[in-house]
Amino acid sequence: MIFAKAAAVLKKDILTSVRYRSGFFLKLVSPALQLATFYYLARAVGPQFRPDGMPYVVFLIVGTGFYTFLVAGIHSFLQTIQDSQQTGTLEVLMTTSTPTTTLLLLSALSSFAGNLLQFVVYVGSGILLFAPAVNISVSAAAAVLVLSLLVAIAFGLFAAGLQVSIHKGSAVLWLLGSCAWLMAGTLFPVAALPRPVRFLSALLPFTHSLAGLRIAIFQADNSAALFRELESLFLFSSVLLPLAIFFFSWTVRRARQRGSLSFY
Amino acid sequence: MNTVALESVSKIFQQRAFFSRTVREETHALKDVSLELAQSEVVGLLGPNGSGKSTTLKLVSTVLLPDRGRVTIEKFDTRLHGPAVRKRVGFALASERSFFPRLTARENLEFFAALDDVHRSDCHDRVESALNHVGLCDAAEKQVMKLSSGMHQRLGIARALLKKPSVLLLDEPSRSLDLAAAAQLWDLIRDLATIGMSILIATHNFAEAAEVCDRVAVLQKGSLIATSRTRHLSDRQLREFYLTLIGEQDLIAWNEEVPA
Repeated sequence: MIFAKAAAVLKKDILTSVRYRSGFFLKLVSPALQLATFYYLARAVGPQFRPDGMPYVVFLIVGTGFYTFLVAGIHSFLQTIQDSQQTGTLEVLMTTSTPTTTLLLLSALSSFAGNLLQFVVYVGSGILLFAPAVNISVSAAAAVLVLSLLVAIAFGLFAAGLQVSIHKGSAVLWLLGSCAWLMAGTLFPVAALPRPVRFLSALLPFTHSLAGLRIAIFQADNSAALFRELESLFLFSSVLLPLAIFFFSWTVRRARQRGSLSFY
Repeated sequence: MNTVALESVSKIFQQRAFFSRTVREETHALKDVSLELAQSEVVGLLGPNGSGKSTTLKLVSTVLLPDRGRVTIEKFDTRLHGPAVRKRVGFALASERSFFPRLTARENLEFFAALDDVHRSDCHDRVESALNHVGLCDAAEKQVMKLSSGMHQRLGIARALLKKPSVLLLDEPSRSLDLAAAAQLWDLIRDLATIGMSILIATHNFAEAAEVCDRVAVLQKGSLIATSRTRHLSDRQLREFYLTLIGEQDLIAWNEEVPA
């Protein structure tokens, strides 16, 4: 039954996305423009700059691609709640036989699937164009992806819970996204940051996601470094995910009690 | 046996900051309300705006939880057995904005059917039957954003019927409907009651209450002030009964609907 529900959510999202034609077209075009931007940025910086031993353009593509994938995934949780509050479907959805947390997870996974496709095309074409000889460890990349996804789901549930309770989930997400943009090694290596900020950066799961993925793509033989990143991600996900599920369920129950489910 | 039972139910809406215990404002939406619905019974909730009609429906559907008292559906407590209650209750909201506007009427119903555990092999027939019940077969392939208000209303009822509920909640079901569509809806409500469904209707329409309800319950400022059988009552008699109850006899002569 859960697969039928997942298929229904996926179908609804695909149909909605395709029928907003201009938005769908822009989604296809913007990654190509971004690739071109990073190519010229890396050319301006010069070929001598090779962060973590890889061409700067590839560093940028992997960093921004994975960052966008994770943040867009987290945002999709918030978006699901916001959209259903604004379209008036939230109360109806909560009278169906599907538990709210399941429904939110299915909606977000559907969005993750779309973002994953975009991410694979974006990073894949970036690597093919600018570093075709690279030796990727697919299993290590998949492990980083899965653990990062679990962390992103946890943050998404926190953001959705805050949207249900204080209607300001987007502010928290903006703060998280900005911190990650600055400190997680998206545009430049973490080593370029001052020491205290580097400490904060290590507390951000995004930092380990980006570092882990870059190792899986460019230094797959460095298993000690890869294991360290996977260990950190495992720790983050096993702490954050149960807390997030509890928090979201609590905020929904509280909103049912207060009658504020559809407020936004 | 009662299908729905509200036992001394109170609902208070409090306004306060997220982690604060200080209450800024308090609204008593329902005060100590007790009401039962038997199987196949149609009960109408009458009352001015803000009297607690929609709150009552939301409490039965688990969208809201009671602060005091309890609400049970076939013995399942809404506070303790939310999923079991939701399997048994279909809710047609008064709001038009409760569909995915870019999807067609059929696609919307198929989506909600999947969430309501309707098996894929039954889905087509259930959707077709629900559309047929509310007379929307011709509009099934139209995007919801292109439907009229009355069609939205009927689609909401079709959605509530998808899970074959034992309790149907209708919030102002004939609002936005023309006379022919309203008459068709009233026939449908009577048919559904005949096959065993218990139906609770929040309405401002005396003709509707007199036509389809077995009983009416009158709410005022969150309190249930009277219940009455409607058999042999015309809509005019019902209106007089209601206006006398709420102390608005002056309006009897000219007002056709429940005054706000």
